[in-house]
Amino acid sequence: MASPIEETMKAAILEKIPGATVQVAPGSGGGHFTVQVLSPVFEGKSMLESQRLVLGAIAHLMKGDGAPVHAIDSLKTKTS
Amino acid sequence: MPLSDQQRQHFDELVKKNKVVLFMKGNKHFPQCGFSAQVIGILKETGVPFETVNVLSDPAVRDGIKEYSSWPTIPQLYVDGEFLGGCDIVKEMYAAGDLQKKLGVVEQPVTAPKITLDDGAAKAIKAADEGNGEHLRLEIGAQFQYELYFGPKQAGDIEVVANGVTVLFDKASAKRADGIRVQWVETPDGGAFKIENPNEPARVKSLTATELKSWMDEGKPFELFDVRGEDERNVAKIERARMLDASGEKHLLGLDKKTPIVFQCHHGMRSKSAAERFLKEGFTNVYNLEGGIEAWSQKVDPKVARY
Repeated sequence: MASPIEETMKAAILEKIPGATVQVAPGSGGGHFTVQVLSPVFEGKSMLESQRLVLGAIAHLMKGDGAPVHAIDSLKTKTS
Repeated sequence: MPLSDQQRQHFDELVKKNKVVLFMKGNKHFPQCGFSAQVIGILKETGVPFETVNVLSDPAVRDGIKEYSSWPTIPQLYVDGEFLGGCDIVKEMYAAGDLQKKLGVVEQPVTAPKITLDDGAAKAIKAADEGNGEHLRLEIGAQFQYELYFGPKQAGDIEVVANGVTVLFDKASAKRADGIRVQWVETPDGGAFKIENPNEPARVKSLTATELKSWMDEGKPFELFDVRGEDERNVAKIERARMLDASGEKHLLGLDKKTPIVFQCHHGMRSKSAAERFLKEGFTNVYNLEGGIEAWSQKVDPKVARY
């Protein structure tokens, strides 16, 4: 079972991008994660725009020194 | 926390004053985070001058830049006042050649490196291939650190086939890979890859007593120097080793710079310094006998006294 913070991240991304397929997995250390999001919403968007959409959804979890999400080791956005 | 107009203006100035500016953790000499270090590595590869802002030195900058760019992570790269992205995006843009275009650098086309894989290495790689379409990737870092792993093909990759095996290089690695030899060698801990790379700056290589013995048995041409003094040599010595006194040094300096030269002492420390010294003189095949004559006595010739 995924840890609560991973569930929180997933929920936050889904709220911003409804209907997306979201995978959040532990990354290289505590507070590090890898994220993969699949949604048609990325169609025609640059990598910067696509990543900004996802990162924007979880930005509040990455703020400040005690943030639960320290870094995203890898963020993949796909349309299919 | 929204940015004040003053803060916004400060960032505007920073990113417009400098053509290329990286907001990062640490500075370009001592990046304090792996992602920042990767972007620094790429910017150095492109050869363009760039400024860095250490976000760790000011919490207001650290939080402010995230707000300013609407981007929650560091590093952040700006070119001509435009936010390009973080580490992932910069890496991808560099591999695809888009970063170079933004920076206005003309990229030298990277030619496919010539590489050699021995049969053992090819066999080991084929055995490890899971047949999932991933290829062997060889990454060679700026300090010639090697990473060998299976991964997907990426934009800008250079593909080389050697001994029936496809190997992928990113551009920076490809430049450092021409002429490499990948061998499969048996070690006491099992099989391992051994990479010989002619592009690597010369360094002192270590040689075990057993390897030295096999060099002698094979009749391999090399020179062996004992850096210890007469007193220690009277207690124990390897017959073939020439003393590195004034005449020994004169002889050494007259040798071809590519001659394999082995240095030896009691435990391998003094010989290491001597080896470093001759490396600086321009010798390229410099070896240190690990463990010195002590190891020689224990592993090869017990008749040599230990002291």
